[in-house]
Amino acid sequence: MGDAVIKPLFVKGPSLGVRLLVLTVLSVSLMVVDARFDTLKPLRSQIGLLATPLYWLADLPTRLWQDMTQSISSRSELLAENEKLKAEALLLQRRLQKLAALTEQNVRLRELLNSAELVDEQVLVSELIGVDPNPFTQRVIIDKGSKDGVSLGMPVLDARGLMGQVVEVMPYSARVLLLTDATHGIPVQVNRNGLRAIANGTGNPGLIELRHVADTADIKEGDLLVSSGLGQRFPAGYPVAVVKEVVRDSGQPFAIVRAEPTAALSRSRYLLLVFSDQRTPEQRATDSAEAQEAADRDAAARQEAAAPPPAVAPAPAAPAATGENRNGRN
Amino acid sequence: MVETRSRNGWVIWLSLVLALLLSVAPMPAFLEAGRPLWLALFLTYWALALPHRVGMVAAWLFGLFADVLYGSLLGQNALVLMLTTFFVLTLHQRLRLFPLWQQSLVLLVLFGIPQLVQLWLFALAGNRPPEALQFLYPVLISALLWPWVHTLLRGLRVRLQVN
Repeated sequence: MGDAVIKPLFVKGPSLGVRLLVLTVLSVSLMVVDARFDTLKPLRSQIGLLATPLYWLADLPTRLWQDMTQSISSRSELLAENEKLKAEALLLQRRLQKLAALTEQNVRLRELLNSAELVDEQVLVSELIGVDPNPFTQRVIIDKGSKDGVSLGMPVLDARGLMGQVVEVMPYSARVLLLTDATHGIPVQVNRNGLRAIANGTGNPGLIELRHVADTADIKEGDLLVSSGLGQRFPAGYPVAVVKEVVRDSGQPFAIVRAEPTAALSRSRYLLLVFSDQRTPEQRATDSAEAQEAADRDAAARQEAAAPPPAVAPAPAAPAATGENRNGRN
Repeated sequence: MVETRSRNGWVIWLSLVLALLLSVAPMPAFLEAGRPLWLALFLTYWALALPHRVGMVAAWLFGLFADVLYGSLLGQNALVLMLTTFFVLTLHQRLRLFPLWQQSLVLLVLFGIPQLVQLWLFALAGNRPPEALQFLYPVLISALLWPWVHTLLRGLRVRLQVN
């Protein structure tokens, strides 16, 4: 019995120093490869398969608590919430009616410009399952991964505005870098006058900074910043932040502009992933031009079939055909 | 040489997985800066108690998994945890004789040095490092937690006769 518990103190593999050296070299080379090349990405994503249930498990108490509070919340509270939601739905419907007309107009103008027909982006709803434990980074984990079609660089938003972008994709989950991370930047423009700027994260949740804004620029407190779509990572026109303060110090080369993200970065549980158009503007223009041509040809063919005597000359037939086609689509 | 049979080894690995879980568990934002280094604490206990079972390689592998979990550079946490374990194993004979409060004091240094390395790597990876000595809060909290972690894991080890 006594023998069995004695530990073999002197049976050791390589000495501690050797192990330290080997493992350090291994770690450093792994880090360099991971930082500079893409070769380790598949490995990461496969180990990430194991990480997803861990995040899910860690989040379980929060979710159970929420479910519980939801199931025991009183009837009157639910009624009040229902009232509120109905009122909100009414308001939104009113706005939607206006939006329909605007969308229509937008489509028509885009057709006139021969540019992309894209107005509504495709979206995917996902749920937050974890927050990065490191307090110096602003990242979250969501429950959709490459199996759901999530890809690197995909924009993420919530009901109120842009939240960030996907920076790592695992099979069933993905990591999202938030706007407020110190390494994040997003091209924005002031909604009021179209002034362009870059909004950088500060590492402080709930604060982003505009870089290199001239002292004389027309920007003031309360201005809404929307994504400008430059850089082709984020779709244009989504709200990003509201300017909180503008400090114009004549001793500084640029004005200091601080803004508050409109999205509830630290509170939203349901996020939207946007499948944005990966094509370049030229490609998009070519595609839409081709589509237009095809539609014209199609309409012309249809007209020819419908009207037996070719009384109309072919030249004016094209615009008429597009008009008819548009009416048909609407 | 005496053959040692390993018993209840799963307890060790389960406790380390639990440490991983604790290290990503959601916490209020103001406590986030002081999140204890759970994995380092648990690894330190097992390396002190059963150095023939949990060593630098185990620490390195768990660190690698932690890297994937946290989304840091592959090898970053692995290097840091391996370094912690290396210090613990180097001071192993002395540390085991110390009373708990003295062990806590030594751990303050043993966790502090790898945390500095962590900070370097964090900055090297292109992040903006924190301004103050904020990154040392977790070390302080972990050292304060050590007596409790030690007592808890020791109780577990004795009861289940983990060997």
